[in-house]
Amino acid sequence: MRVRFAQLCDRVEIDAAAERPIDHSALLGVWVNSNPETKGIARLAIAEVDGKPKLEVQAIGPDSLINWGATDITVFASSPSSRKGVGFTCRYDFGFAETRLQGMILKGLAVLSQFHIFKDDSQRVDYFVREYFALEHGLY
Amino acid sequence: MTKSIEFKQSSHLNPELLDPAARNSNADKIIGRWVNTNSDTRGIAEIIIEHDGEGFRIGVIGVGADEPIEWPATKAKALANLEEEAGQRALALAATFDFGFMRAETHIRLNKGVLVIVEFNTFHDDSGRMSYVNREFFYRKG
Repeated sequence: MRVRFAQLCDRVEIDAAAERPIDHSALLGVWVNSNPETKGIARLAIAEVDGKPKLEVQAIGPDSLINWGATDITVFASSPSSRKGVGFTCRYDFGFAETRLQGMILKGLAVLSQFHIFKDDSQRVDYFVREYFALEHGLY
Repeated sequence: MTKSIEFKQSSHLNPELLDPAARNSNADKIIGRWVNTNSDTRGIAEIIIEHDGEGFRIGVIGVGADEPIEWPATKAKALANLEEEAGQRALALAATFDFGFMRAETHIRLNKGVLVIVEFNTFHDDSGRMSYVNREFFYRKG
């Protein structure tokens, strides 16, 4: 089959017989913000539920953590021919605002890009921020 | 009666978000032609960022087998970038390129004068290719 591509790195042929879903095991666990002074997201918990990865976010509030609840994530590999999951995307719709998250693992850190888009009449500008998270591994 | 402002994290209450100029801060730093720092890339060769008076448009030149591949120019969403130190801050851009057989959700930002694009690519054909994430770096060429 001739594959269509928009950049040469996407011109790969996959053995259909070997098709398997992306392995999301590297994403699983509790990821803690490296910045103790963050005013954004404090921790990300990614767990497998019924075979699918789900994310639960705990964000910093004025008085205590704010639980955003659990949401499905879409997992991304490191290349079109890889099965190793190294990234994810998801979206939270809060009504007054929508937050899109794009995460990727780099050198053991989860780098989380956040897009906050306001839908209310508060006149706040939409904003981008990126934060770093370390996996709680309990080894040391 | 005062209206309370809704939030889901403390940074939603950052007073800087009430400055409309934050959305386009230092736009001149990001507008222009950018060339991949990796001359051997098999991904994106060039990025052209323009502002047409109403909004930002992003043009991308992909590396092809025989010749460059021009991606359809796409409108970008501008977002205030609160992550950098004040002196280095420039807006960030988010854009989605839809080719039918593939969709690339991207974001673009500046880091110390280097343009960084992160692509989350999803294939919508029956090629069996995996959705994947990629990051590339660019220097200013014009």
